[in-house]
Amino acid sequence: MRAESLLVPIGKTLAVAAILVWSLFPIVFIVASSVKPGQDIFAVPPQWVFEPTLQHYATLWAQWGVFFRGLWNSLLITIGATVLAVVASTCAGYAFSRHAARWLDLSVVALIAVRLIPPIVVTLPLFPIVNRLGLADTHLVLIVLYATFFVSLGTVLMRTFIDQIPRDLDEAAAIDGASRLTILWRVIVPLAAPGILAVAVFVIVFAWNEFLFAFIFTGTNAKTAPLVISEMIGSIDGVDWGVLFAASTVQLAPVLAFVILMNRYLVAGLTAGATKG
Amino acid sequence: MRKTTFLGVIPLLAPVQLLLLCVVILPALYVVWLSFHLSSFGQAPEFVGWQNYLRVLSDPAFRSAMWNTVIIVVVAVHLEMLVALGMALLCNSGVKFRRFLLVAVLAPYAVSEVVAVAMWRFLFDLDIGPVTLALQALGLPVLEWSYEPSHAMIMIILLTIWMHLPFTFVILYAARLAMPADLYEAARIDGATRLQCFWRVTLPLMGPAIIVALLFRYIFAFRMFSEVWLLTGGGPARSTEVVAVYLYQEAFSYNAFGTASATALLMVIASLVLASGYIWLLRRQVKNAR
Repeated sequence: MRAESLLVPIGKTLAVAAILVWSLFPIVFIVASSVKPGQDIFAVPPQWVFEPTLQHYATLWAQWGVFFRGLWNSLLITIGATVLAVVASTCAGYAFSRHAARWLDLSVVALIAVRLIPPIVVTLPLFPIVNRLGLADTHLVLIVLYATFFVSLGTVLMRTFIDQIPRDLDEAAAIDGASRLTILWRVIVPLAAPGILAVAVFVIVFAWNEFLFAFIFTGTNAKTAPLVISEMIGSIDGVDWGVLFAASTVQLAPVLAFVILMNRYLVAGLTAGATKG
Repeated sequence: MRKTTFLGVIPLLAPVQLLLLCVVILPALYVVWLSFHLSSFGQAPEFVGWQNYLRVLSDPAFRSAMWNTVIIVVVAVHLEMLVALGMALLCNSGVKFRRFLLVAVLAPYAVSEVVAVAMWRFLFDLDIGPVTLALQALGLPVLEWSYEPSHAMIMIILLTIWMHLPFTFVILYAARLAMPADLYEAARIDGATRLQCFWRVTLPLMGPAIIVALLFRYIFAFRMFSEVWLLTGGGPARSTEVVAVYLYQEAFSYNAFGTASATALLMVIASLVLASGYIWLLRRQVKNAR
């Protein structure tokens, strides 16, 4: 008993340390390396004390203008996809929450079944169609694709959150003569804000980071930041690690800060999405 | 409650249904049609029956891709589940700084596949990677992932676990959090040991959450593309290709849309079979344990 009482806290502390190293070491290492002077990146053993420098960021700025255009594209696409997904999911979630009919239940089943189709499958037919419509390499394609792959989860999430809002509230508003859209906008949306944030977190993280669709559907105009970074990794004349780390840090920092800030909504969304959807 | 009328609800559902119809459902049906046709750029599709399926199934590259995918899914998802379960129980056992720990575990969720690959390629670089150098310094074997296929597979598995652990962890953590504490008190009073508590109380009650997390992870791991494409490109010599990479090569490198479509359907079917088989088994075990 005494041995156990001593071993358990030590074991726990070691386990916590292992978790922290596993989760954070790659991130911390890359961010730290992005401000290391050139040769220190490759120092053996790794240098933990060094003179921070922004030289890699300067190189990135001077030589990789395409990366910053990529960031701008990523931003526009992320905003577009988030707005589209949130509006569509909120409307549908409201409809599913407040109405019951057999064909509506079927529609929910279809919504969940759709998630079984891998994204790469739909690129096959969409690729020629997008080209023919002249939509290849535009922001619009990625906005629609990213939003679509989250409206199904988004709708299920919004229904779960809207289910928790008492129906008396919308009935009272309806008696006062509010239209369906007014009720949705004035009653439901403010009360379902946590759900909306949860959906938004999913779409924002996905759209900002997505690689496959961007790789297939964009070339120069609408090229996103992850795509530019993948080109840095695959560069033929050898990888310039310092610049790659700087670009990775710039791409990662905002979304990491966002996830940390919104961790409550992310956890709520993941939990509700997995158990209900 | 308002009477549900078709016309009253349709406008609210229309955006979602339209998006799914145009982007997912119709294209998926078209893929089914394509899989029975011979099709390439600038050619009229020609009906060929099951030929595409036969061709894909007899292609050694497909078989190796399917085999790799199954290995990655089985190894990565189960390892991930074990680690996530341990972490979820640890985080619920009164450790200090629980909120900080939770956020730290979530952090990789924010990292894009591209940046994660950049990190791992550097950490395990054979000449300059800090992890490789550390392993060498300790006299341990290093991962020669850029030319040794089995090592490349280990890299892919490690990377995919790193990226998806937050998801599995959160599901299990929430399930453990929702469990009533008095169950443990009751078990303790009845003289149950720690191990008995785990087998008889924790595991059966977390069963449904474990099944849900596994189901999601099977399905998502089966469509893995970016990690493999960016880390190894399917190489060396197509030895680490997974089904999604094979599909991409067929469609966009060889312009064989018919066989690519057949691959797509085989991929959907295989992931469903794998997922449902495991889930069925697990569900039965959970029921028996109760």
